[in-house]
Amino acid sequence: MNAAATRSSSHVAAHRPGTGALRRDLRLAAWQVRYTQRSFWRSRRAAVMSIAFPLMFLAIFGSLNTGETIDTRGGLAFIDFFVPGIIAYAVTLTTFNSTAMTMTALRERGVLKRLRTTPLPTWVYVAGIVGSTILVMVISTAILLVVGTALFGAHIPTHTMPGVLITLALGSVAMTMLGIGASRLVTSTESGMGVLTMITLPITFISNVFYPLDGAPGWLEDIAKAFPLRPLADGLQHAFDPATTGAGLVWHDLAVLAVWAVAGAVIMRRTIRNLNARD
Amino acid sequence: MTEPAIDVRDLHKRYDDLQAVAGVSFTVSPGEVFCLLGPNGAGKSTTTEILEGHRLADSGHVRVLGHDPAASERSLRERIGVVLQAGGIQEELTIAELVEMYGRWYERPRPVDELIDLVQLDARRDTRAGDLSGGQRRRLDLALGLVGDPDLLFLDEPTTGFDPHARRQAWSTIRALCGLGKTVFLTTHFMDEAQYLADRIAVMVGGRLVAEGSPESIGGRDALPTEIRFTLPAGAGLGGLPDLPGGSTTTVRDAGDGAVHVTTQAGLAVTHAITGWALDAGVAIGQLSVAQPTLEDVYLRLTEQPADTTQEVPS
Repeated sequence: MNAAATRSSSHVAAHRPGTGALRRDLRLAAWQVRYTQRSFWRSRRAAVMSIAFPLMFLAIFGSLNTGETIDTRGGLAFIDFFVPGIIAYAVTLTTFNSTAMTMTALRERGVLKRLRTTPLPTWVYVAGIVGSTILVMVISTAILLVVGTALFGAHIPTHTMPGVLITLALGSVAMTMLGIGASRLVTSTESGMGVLTMITLPITFISNVFYPLDGAPGWLEDIAKAFPLRPLADGLQHAFDPATTGAGLVWHDLAVLAVWAVAGAVIMRRTIRNLNARD
Repeated sequence: MTEPAIDVRDLHKRYDDLQAVAGVSFTVSPGEVFCLLGPNGAGKSTTTEILEGHRLADSGHVRVLGHDPAASERSLRERIGVVLQAGGIQEELTIAELVEMYGRWYERPRPVDELIDLVQLDARRDTRAGDLSGGQRRRLDLALGLVGDPDLLFLDEPTTGFDPHARRQAWSTIRALCGLGKTVFLTTHFMDEAQYLADRIAVMVGGRLVAEGSPESIGGRDALPTEIRFTLPAGAGLGGLPDLPGGSTTTVRDAGDGAVHVTTQAGLAVTHAITGWALDAGVAIGQLSVAQPTLEDVYLRLTEQPADTTQEVPS
């Protein structure tokens, strides 16, 4: 048997659909998380947006409202409202905005075009981005939590931790996938910041992030509750409230996030297929 | 019989109102450096992208290493390397990190250090891709195209933007690859590049191949007349020249200011006659040159085809 024949038969074996090939791709995805992390922390713009920006808001609002309580919420300390709110906002920045910008930059620079010439499946590369994004989200959240507690005396949830974790996980996964889909709306990195801010900033203002909207008009509430940021903020605020009993799970908020997660998965799938499309 | 590395028969591809590729056929043998030449819009890129699996052909038979590139099989992408003209890069990663990362995606990657040495970037291995000069980026592109140890390498204008020194380096690198038995599919605008690198050249115009052959013989280059040029001293006229051999293939033309252009099929004999006469008669002829038409001369003639070869489809 000649060398070429041996070689091609080994290829067939390696790519027979099966768990071996999938395991190899999952291992590659884990490597991609590491490479994407390395890229991320070296690009200062992304790190500033994801970590420094929400931290700055925490410092400002925390200082301005020291010792304040919210009457419409039964005397809840403002900081116990604000820390989960700003975490929800940070999740939006680190997952939705940042992922949309990353995907746009990859497309604009022609990295995705080069990827298509390699054997790496596009989904493995995207999985690396998703994994890295979730990691950044966890780091950003942890920093906000530590600073909020240490400097502003926020309450750390204990028995409601399941509510915090499940709401965060569902919300960040949904928004990451939506961010990948949103990259299709962004034509260039130059205009990207503007476009994404146009999407997220108005939603942020009606989503109980910076201040409680108690007593806002019903129609505004209805609009706000249709987007994923509001149920994420509400769900986290419920879990952070020292008066909450039980596991801190708000089922209707989780349900809205789950619907967005499904929608995000569909949109992401279509985006990846679109990236691979040929004419 | 060995299977061709690339086999294309009667390839067609049409965009809305433009027939970009109109019936192209060629084969590339394993180990060969094949160069596709042609003006912008000739259909080179479309043909290349179909071979790379980035575009789908309308009709025709296309096989790359025995596979149909349209099927986009991973096993084919394992065996080809592609150096795109404008391929982006993860600019925050260093050269060493990029070569390592891209290498992981292949089953049998080449060692990182070996590749970095090959493209002569060892001094910059820890430099981020975003900080490289244009020529260094292009060499990184070449390294990434080779990282999977491909049997077939696509090079799309590999030295555009290089300074002359860097081009020479890149050429010797590519030449060295051919020594390893790799097949190279090259597209370029540079005649000297095609001349230096290619074993075989095909010229594409208006979606069709108009000529194919070795750099020395393409377009009947080896059969074209020799051109001999020189100047006569002031006062001397064409009438002083001796009778020249070559019969009717020899023509003598006064190019003004004492310059004389002679074209002939009998290059050696005519050169001998002119120089012998000049020495015997003591005529100080100057600026003597004897030249075969260059590849560029042939290329320009081939690509100056009348407009009817382009396939504008009436709407």
